[in-house]
Amino acid sequence: MATQLATHIVGFQLNGRPHAVTVAPLTTLRTALREELHLHATKAGCGQGGCGSCTVLLDNELVLSCLVPVTLVDGRSVTTLEGIGRPGRLHPLQEAFHDHFAAQCGYCTAGMIMAAKWLLDRNPNPTRAQIQTALAGNLCRCTGYLPIIEAIEDAAQRMSKGERR
Amino acid sequence: MSTTAFFVPRTVEQAIDLKREHGKNLVVMGGGTIVMGLVHDGLLFPKLAMSLARAGMSDVRGRDGWLEIGAATPIARLAALKGATTLERAAGMLGGPALRTLATAGGNLFAKAPYGDLCVPLLAMDAELEIAGAGGRHTVPLEQFLSRRLKNDELVVSIQVPKAQGRGAYLKLGRRQANTPSVVAVAVQVVLNAGGLCTDVRIALGAAAPQAVRAKKAEAALIGRRLEDVSIKAAAQSALAECNPATDSLASAWYRREMVGVFVRRALDEVGRST
Repeated sequence: MATQLATHIVGFQLNGRPHAVTVAPLTTLRTALREELHLHATKAGCGQGGCGSCTVLLDNELVLSCLVPVTLVDGRSVTTLEGIGRPGRLHPLQEAFHDHFAAQCGYCTAGMIMAAKWLLDRNPNPTRAQIQTALAGNLCRCTGYLPIIEAIEDAAQRMSKGERR
Repeated sequence: MSTTAFFVPRTVEQAIDLKREHGKNLVVMGGGTIVMGLVHDGLLFPKLAMSLARAGMSDVRGRDGWLEIGAATPIARLAALKGATTLERAAGMLGGPALRTLATAGGNLFAKAPYGDLCVPLLAMDAELEIAGAGGRHTVPLEQFLSRRLKNDELVVSIQVPKAQGRGAYLKLGRRQANTPSVVAVAVQVVLNAGGLCTDVRIALGAAAPQAVRAKKAEAALIGRRLEDVSIKAAAQSALAECNPATDSLASAWYRREMVGVFVRRALDEVGRST
């Protein structure tokens, strides 16, 4: 049985590379990412699973990193926004969000893009309704959602034309 | 006060031993979507915590015509089942995609109104729970489980769902279209005889009382009758009279009661139209 007393070490693949963090019991994946590994794309929002700003991929499934004790991530694979593109070599979703002005304050953006990536990984040509359903757990208080949905439609088209990923 | 240990048992037996040893000091979570939110809000300070995510309770399988759902099965897995039941419908309408990856079927049984939608179709389908304790395993009807507490050494291991009889409908009203607790949730399951008369009716309500409840007077009012405007309206009226909703930030008790009437009527209409 894995009994984790006091601080303990958790090892996992993060954006394709092995990482380890030393954490206290019940430390969340979100806190480990932001405060131990200093990856700040993943945002700390409501802490209740209601806003989606902390959304990341865990073994390619969509999760809310604020609700996952990082102890349970041991040996698994995590993908954050930092893992899908980088300056000068952005993911088509990141490019499309930029081109469509799909971010205003930007707080929801990382979660939105991770939810969109999760959708496009499974369904490369989603309908608008399918996009809306996939984003149901991600709140944006700035854009009114339309530029976000249009950016995802555009990214899907770019990706189906053979752009990267 | 900080949490001094986090247990991740690998078997049901280990989990029961930990519950017996630590009693009320041990906070138990399925997917963590309830517990971690309370911790973040400063409403819960677990001295010790335990996750059931790795205890071998995540299988869904058919057995003698029943569906056996491991307590740690993610809601997303239930939503993806292909049996066209009210259970799958309710699972697919619970939270958002990322929450459904984490939240578990068993954990949702412990959610208080206005959360805990999964109990609504499960009550309408007359589900039972397999409970394991130091003294062995036994089965209790979900309805009975909801009116008592687990003993210190007990765990819900699986949800046993009989094959749906007759026709069902599930409707949920939220303040948004998705990712929201219920203003009300309604599941109905109706068996009609060859003459079109109701022989078995179950009406379950969510967010209409501290926990999911059956509207038994409304059910009784339909037995032996046809599903038609007059009988459906009478049943809906009975359901709103017998429920006991709360006022919270989503809706007032008055509004919930009115919506119980509206959504019981709509659910029964849906079943009536499909026959």
